[in-house]
Amino acid sequence: MNFLYFDPGLGAMIVQAIVAVAAGVLLFSKNVLYKVKSFFGLVKEDDSYDSIDVDEEDTEETNDKNQ
Amino acid sequence: MKKIPKKPMTKTSKTHEASFRDPSGYIYHDGNILRRKINPIYFPQYKKLKDSGFFKTLIKNNLLISHEETSVSEDEIIITPEHIPFITNPYEWGFEQYKQAALLTLKIQKFALSKGFILKDASAYNVTFHKGKPIFIDTLSFDFYEEGSPWRAYKQFVTHFLGPLVLARYHGNEVFNMLQAYIDGIPVKMISSMLPPKTKLSSVLYPNIHLLAKMESRHSEDYKAQTKIAKLSLKAQNNIIESLYNYISKLSLKEVSEWGDYYSKTNYNETAFNTKKDLIRNWVSPLNAKKLIDIGGNDGTFARTVQDLVPHIMVTDIDSNAVDANFSQILKNKEDNILPFVCDVLQPAPGIGFNNTERESLVHRLTEYKPDVTMALALIHHITLSGNVPFEKSAAFFAKFSKNLIIEFPKREDSWVTSLLVRKREFINYFDFYNQIEFEKGYSKFFTLVKKEELAGTKRVMYLFENKNYGS
Repeated sequence: MNFLYFDPGLGAMIVQAIVAVAAGVLLFSKNVLYKVKSFFGLVKEDDSYDSIDVDEEDTEETNDKNQ
Repeated sequence: MKKIPKKPMTKTSKTHEASFRDPSGYIYHDGNILRRKINPIYFPQYKKLKDSGFFKTLIKNNLLISHEETSVSEDEIIITPEHIPFITNPYEWGFEQYKQAALLTLKIQKFALSKGFILKDASAYNVTFHKGKPIFIDTLSFDFYEEGSPWRAYKQFVTHFLGPLVLARYHGNEVFNMLQAYIDGIPVKMISSMLPPKTKLSSVLYPNIHLLAKMESRHSEDYKAQTKIAKLSLKAQNNIIESLYNYISKLSLKEVSEWGDYYSKTNYNETAFNTKKDLIRNWVSPLNAKKLIDIGGNDGTFARTVQDLVPHIMVTDIDSNAVDANFSQILKNKEDNILPFVCDVLQPAPGIGFNNTERESLVHRLTEYKPDVTMALALIHHITLSGNVPFEKSAAFFAKFSKNLIIEFPKREDSWVTSLLVRKREFINYFDFYNQIEFEKGYSKFFTLVKKEELAGTKRVMYLFENKNYGS
C-alpha cells in the first residue's frame, strides 16, 4: 500500500496522462531530429550537464563503508 | 539485528523543527549530533532500500547523503546521517544551483523508478549543497512504486522546481524569494498567471503548468476523492521525467548579466588588489579557522586566498550572478570546501513555516554555524549608506555570530563611497558620521581592535576585530 501523507492534487494526478503523451511526442521527435542531425554530422556534444542516468558500475564489489 | 543502546531520546535530544510532516520518521538532535529515527510504518521500505543496494548506489554516486545505522529495534531504527555544516534553503540559491537541485531530484526519481521505488515527495528542501554539489538529504523520501500509479510528487515538483525556475527565467532570480512566502512551492495558478502568454505554445510549459493549473482548479472540489485516477504506465512516467530533465537542463535566465567585470570597475589597481589578498592570508593564517564566512564576498575571489587554510568556507552575495559565477568555478574546479549562497545583509532570510521555525532564519543558522572568521570586505559602506544602518547596529549584527571579524572600511574619498554620498543630495550632511572615528566607536562596543592597516594605493582601511562577548 502506498502511504500518502500529503495531498498530491487530483488535477495533477489526472494531467500526467496528457503530460506524458506530450512528453512522448517531444522525446520521439527529438530523437528523430538527433538521428537526422548526426547523419549529417551536425551533432555537438554538450557535456555541461550530467546524464539523467545513475552510474551503477562497480557498485557491487566496492566499499562497505557506507553501510 | 544489532543490539541497541536503549533510550536514544535522552534529555539532550530534541526533535528538529523542520521534521514533522512525514510520519515515516523524524530527525532529532542527540546532543550535537543529528540523527534520524525511523518508525515501524516505514520499516518495509527502509529494509528493501537498504538490502537491494539502492541506498548504496545513490550514496556512492554522491546523490544521497550517506548515513550509518546506529541502532535497530522492533519499534525504531536510528540512522545517523553524515554531518552537513550548513543548510542553505532554496530561496538562497542562485539560478544554476536551483537548476542542479531540480535535475538531481529528477535523476533520483528516474533511478528510483528503475528499481521499483518512487520519490514520494519532491520538495526543494530535500536538497541542499554540500562539498560543492547538490545532495539529496531526505533518506526517507522513497516509497514502493505501485504499478500504473502516476507520480504523486509531480505537482510538488512543479511548484517547487519547474515553476520557480521558469518564473526566474522571465522575471529574474529574485522570484526565488517568493518561496519564503510559499513554503510548499509557488501555487500552480500563480505560476501560470505570471508566465508570458507565449509559454502556452510551449510543448513542455503548456501541459506541465498551464493545463495543470486548469485541471487543478477544475478538480479542487472533489471532497470525497471519488474521481477515478487514470493509470499511467511506467514508460509514460519515465517520459515525463526525461522531458522535464531535458527542458530544465537547457533552461537559462533571459537576461544574463555577464559577471566578472566587477573588479575591473573598482578603482584599485592590481598591486592594491594583491596587497589586500596577501593581507587577508596573513591575518587569517594565525587564527587557525575551521569555518569562515565571507559576507558580500562576490564570486569568492578573496575567500579563495585562504581556501587551503580553512576547511569550510561560505561566500554570500546579494547578487545572484556572483553566486552563480562562484558556483560554476566550484563545479569546474571540483572545489569541495566552498559553499556560495545568495544573501541580502539588509534583509537576511527570515524563519518561515510552522511556528516560524520550520526553516530557520539566516541569523539563527549563522549563530549555530559559529564561523571562526567573518569577512566583510567592501560591504560596510553599502550597509551604512545604502541601508542607512548605523555602525553600532551593523556591529551588533556581526557580533551575533562572529568570533573574529575582518572588515574593510572604505573612506569618504573612496570613489564608491563618494558616489553613494553624492546620491544623498541635500541630505548629505546627515551622513557626516560616516568616518573612521565613528566607525571604530560603534564597533568597539562589541569588538576589540586587534589589527588595523591602510591598503596602500587605495582609500581603504582593513580592520581585524575580536568579539568581546564571544561564547558568553
